[in-house]
Amino acid sequence: MTVPASSVALGDPAVRAAFREWLLRIADDELAIGHRHAEWTGVGPDIESDVAMSSIAQEELGHARLLYEQIAGEAPGAVDRLAFGRPPSEFRNAVLLEQPNQGWEFSITRLALYEAFESVRFGLLARSGQEPVAALAATLAREERYHGLFAATWLERLAGASVDAGGRVQAALDVAWPYALGFFETTDADGVLLRAGLVSDSAERQRDVWEAAVRPLLERCALTPPVAEPRLGGRRGVHTPALGEMHAAMTEVWASDPEARW
Amino acid sequence: MSTVSPAGDEAVRLERFTTRIASGDQIEAGEWMPEQYRFEALRLIQMHANSEIMGALPEREWIPRAPTLARKMALTAKVQDEVGHGMLLYRVAETIGRPREEMYAELVEGRARFHNVFHYPAETWADVAIIQVFVDGAAMQTQGALRSCSYAPYSRVLKRICYEEDFHIQLGLDVWRALAEGTPAQRAMLQDALNRWWTPIIHFFGMPDRVSPHTEAMLAWRLKVKSNEELRQQFLRRFVPVILEYGLVVPDPGLRWLETEQRYEYTEPDWDELKRVGRNGGPKSAERLALRQSFYRQHAWVREALSRWSQAAA
Amino acid sequence: MTPRGVEAARRTEAPWVRTLEAADGVWAVFLQARRRDAHVHVGDVHAPDAEMALVLAKENYARRDPCVSLWVVPARAIRGTASDAADMFEPATDKSYRFGGSYRQQQRVYRGGYSAGPTEDDR
Repeated sequence: MTVPASSVALGDPAVRAAFREWLLRIADDELAIGHRHAEWTGVGPDIESDVAMSSIAQEELGHARLLYEQIAGEAPGAVDRLAFGRPPSEFRNAVLLEQPNQGWEFSITRLALYEAFESVRFGLLARSGQEPVAALAATLAREERYHGLFAATWLERLAGASVDAGGRVQAALDVAWPYALGFFETTDADGVLLRAGLVSDSAERQRDVWEAAVRPLLERCALTPPVAEPRLGGRRGVHTPALGEMHAAMTEVWASDPEARW
Repeated sequence: MSTVSPAGDEAVRLERFTTRIASGDQIEAGEWMPEQYRFEALRLIQMHANSEIMGALPEREWIPRAPTLARKMALTAKVQDEVGHGMLLYRVAETIGRPREEMYAELVEGRARFHNVFHYPAETWADVAIIQVFVDGAAMQTQGALRSCSYAPYSRVLKRICYEEDFHIQLGLDVWRALAEGTPAQRAMLQDALNRWWTPIIHFFGMPDRVSPHTEAMLAWRLKVKSNEELRQQFLRRFVPVILEYGLVVPDPGLRWLETEQRYEYTEPDWDELKRVGRNGGPKSAERLALRQSFYRQHAWVREALSRWSQAAA
Repeated sequence: MTPRGVEAARRTEAPWVRTLEAADGVWAVFLQARRRDAHVHVGDVHAPDAEMALVLAKENYARRDPCVSLWVVPARAIRGTASDAADMFEPATDKSYRFGGSYRQQQRVYRGGYSAGPTEDDR
């Protein structure tokens, strides 16, 4: 029996740990932004968009759940222990995604930046050769398409409506952009995955692909990304106070009795 | 006809309208309707729409704190449905003659009414179960009956709403069961929530109808299909067994089944509380309206931007 | 538009024709559940333009029900028959001559022929 090349790669504990770290980043990203987007449910700027944003939130949470399952397995409660049972310092999400919603323009801008990144990353994961995760990534990417569409449609309308509205979106972009560059923050895991051939593009290359997707959209909206240093930390577990606040709410009930069935 | 005076015309139309409804026919958007019918239908549907929009708030507070990922997704979907119902219902109300923007502004400014149950706090995670099972279960009785109402656009929308409410009740029963079969602390939390929600739920159906020309007109026009008391009894028959099945206590020592009359007897609640709450005087009325106002103000520029965009696009 | 067309557009609509009263920005949503089905009106959305209407219609009307395609149309562009014209859809005389079921006498022979046919498809 021939052992698939991917299994050989994961036979190396260092590669296995790096791959796990990568999956955890993706899952934590989805959980953080899903949590923030879910906070819009019931208070969106108009009723129809409220409903649509809520679906996006649900799908992001759903993606987080499936990805956690890849890491934790399907034993009852395992996924929730991973999602709710870790302290904030063990979260690997990019700090952009834990930021509070602030305003609709910020959430829309963040969503547009994030979705472009998701499409790059799910592409890489789908080509990683690691089944069943690769197939899962290809499936999840299908839902991300609508998320990107929703973000772009909103962004274009807000930015193009008036000088005032455009200014607000630009201000949101000025805040979000440096954080978004934190998507590409690397740890030792990135080098390991590259060398093992599980990830085909370096972080620099990923950022180029992302910018090539994001900049034309921003240009179409007459928005200019600021020149700024990346805001890093998330991939190493160094977070902003926003994660602590979010984490406290998220774990409040679960932590009252982690053994209980809820 | 020139021989018929405008007032006579009106009388003929009214009679034809009433006969049609009596025969089981339904009225479509844009059709002629008596002013009184328009007024009552709008009041009913607008109140329903307002209640869905305000009803999103108590449960929404628990979305960030839902204890598992599956619960978080399902609760978000549930609250999303309520918002969606608001959308569908405001659209129906619009066809009777008021722009949504105007109705929404009226709600936000505290000049409109919404159902009593949404003026109360959702204090613990168990409140989510109670709201989904009992509040939505109560709403289901009213809305299920109204599917045969006389205003066709409302009855079409209610069909979809009831379908989704059924999901809410099933979801709620699942949360309910997890807590009822859970640890003593979980069970205690559930019983506590049930105790707090019991009176508002009994209130939900309103005071027993007085025999009045108003009630009779509403029934004749099929803007009301069953009496308040009928609906309350229907609810009790359906949901008291759920409480007993799981060994919880019905928080009304006076509740008992009268075999001969085939109905539940219950302790008369304080109806003044219902009136007070209905006039936005409930424990959470001010806070929930303030939240709505704050988001409404925050999004004024978004509304303005979209309206400019649509003018430019036109 | 030809002068004749302009005139036609200005003409008051016939009493049996109904225009849906709807504000600016109300879009009627039509959902196609499967390719072999027609698009069916499922409700409306408020949106600033057609593109946004489609984006919003998807989650407002197709988040549970199966859907392969959506249409949006400005609600006020819809013309319909008025409700009090419903009478004209009610057949007043026997229209059974239009239905195959009215010609049952030879049905046994007809179906019998099929069931004796050579392939599954014939049956």
